[in-house]
Amino acid sequence: MTPLLEVKNLTKVFGGLTAVGDLTFHVDRGEIVGLIGPNGAGKTTCFNLLAGAMTPTSGSVHFKGEDVTGRKSHQMCKLGLTRTFQVVQPFPDITALENVMIGAFVRHGSTGAAERKAREVLDVVGIAHKADTLGRDLTLMELKRLEIGKGLATEPDLLLLDEVAAGLTPVEIDDILTLVRRLNSEGMTFLVVEHVMKVIMNLSHRIVVLNFGSQIAEGTPAEISKNPAVLDAYLGEEEYVA
Amino acid sequence: MKQMKQYREFLVPLVVFALAAFLPLFLKTYYMHIAILILIWAYLATSWNILGGYAGQHSLGHGLYMGIGAYASTYLALEFGLTPWVGIFVGMAFAAIAGWFVGYAAFRYGLKGAYFALVTIALTEAAVYVVSNWKAMGGAAGLEVKYLGTDPFMMQFDSKLPYFYIILFMTLLAVLTAQWLNRRRFGYRLIAVRENEEAAEAMGVNTLGTKINANVLSAVMTAAGGTFFAQYFTYVGPRVVFGEVVSVQILLFAIIGGLGTVWGPLVGAVILVPVAEIARAELGTQFQGAHLLLYGGVLVFTMLFMPNGIVGLAKSIRARFGKTPDDTMSVSASEGGAS
Repeated sequence: MTPLLEVKNLTKVFGGLTAVGDLTFHVDRGEIVGLIGPNGAGKTTCFNLLAGAMTPTSGSVHFKGEDVTGRKSHQMCKLGLTRTFQVVQPFPDITALENVMIGAFVRHGSTGAAERKAREVLDVVGIAHKADTLGRDLTLMELKRLEIGKGLATEPDLLLLDEVAAGLTPVEIDDILTLVRRLNSEGMTFLVVEHVMKVIMNLSHRIVVLNFGSQIAEGTPAEISKNPAVLDAYLGEEEYVA
Repeated sequence: MKQMKQYREFLVPLVVFALAAFLPLFLKTYYMHIAILILIWAYLATSWNILGGYAGQHSLGHGLYMGIGAYASTYLALEFGLTPWVGIFVGMAFAAIAGWFVGYAAFRYGLKGAYFALVTIALTEAAVYVVSNWKAMGGAAGLEVKYLGTDPFMMQFDSKLPYFYIILFMTLLAVLTAQWLNRRRFGYRLIAVRENEEAAEAMGVNTLGTKINANVLSAVMTAAGGTFFAQYFTYVGPRVVFGEVVSVQILLFAIIGGLGTVWGPLVGAVILVPVAEIARAELGTQFQGAHLLLYGGVLVFTMLFMPNGIVGLAKSIRARFGKTPDDTMSVSASEGGAS
């Protein structure tokens, strides 16, 4: 069976800096794959490349068996690959419902259908009671939920979550984790970039570790936490912080 | 039933314009002229608002499209005897091409904000000089619509009444278009582009295509206004229909009335045009351009004290007072859920 997402020798060079170098990994349907690495390891660049916000220097991306290298963001979204942003990106002057409707319009032409879909999504992410609140008036926790909702509304096969736990309290993080797990059990596939170790270790079925733009390890959370190269590059340092 | 509900949103504009249709019963000729001026600027500002207000791309060069519409119909009528009723559509077609080209050239290379504004103002200024040196277009002297007395076939009338109804109908169509956008996918996408382009793109909005389409729609509508302008004043000159003076006036009413709102441009024109006309009539002989000074003053005042325009201010006042029951309900609902 072909994987849902297949990344081969993906490389992005900015001037003399190789932000992502020769990266190869895949994501199967129904998985939650974590993408981790120290600051500057190339995680966000990798996301930008996959989601179509940047064009790779070389290498290829296959999605649902189709070569999608170099496609634009809106094309990737239509194909079923949607990303959320590390720094939440709401539309401030329209309501939460309308924010989500923008995403729903990808699959629904009529306003009525898009609105029904958006209400359903707001319910799933738990901010249905904020439907009529403007984007600018939502709290960070609500914005994080809105961010996921905006992605879900596009009805993706693969949702890329960028630092969804950043800035949240432990209780709020647990809420978000429960949400992601539930969506996953309903069949949604996730690729997750995350700084909070607890999140990635709890959530991921499989983890890909980056350092200086290249993959240094891949495996289950248990394997990764024992991998000497990873401990060296990343977890060892993090212990002081945690 | 469902169909009825879908079209209910158009009821308010239809009623308002139906009532406005009775205005000539009460207005003397001079006031009819002011009413027509109001509608011309309301129409043009509503057209501009689709690109500038909804999609947030502040074009300072809509004189380009107005000029194309005005010159196309006038030239074709003079040269080939083509009725402006057809010429208006020729002008709209040319404006569509120009709008597409300007949109593609500017947006393809990611021009935004002040840079987009500068490019559009440069293009409309360039058009002034091109037309001023274009013999067939009358050069700097412009073109005069041939006087035919009352000739409905050539969109010419001795009375102001028919002009009033034509521009009233055009403005109604423009307002209905804005109202239609308000609750349709394309309209939502325009707003998404205005609010956050990166997020819109990630959510499946083809932002480049959306902006180009907005520019084309806005240009086409503006060109139709240009044809009417030419027929009403029976004269087109490079500076009169192209150029930055008219381009800036177009957006003035939208900004003062309320960007990105259905009624803002109309409200802005209704309030500002009469004031400016009175200033021109009363002070015009001693202080030429007094009305322009007034525009400037009102614009500064608006920017300072009601950046969302008159309609925007009304909306936020209504939201503050009207929404209180809603807010308390949602708070109590969430409290109920928590306990």
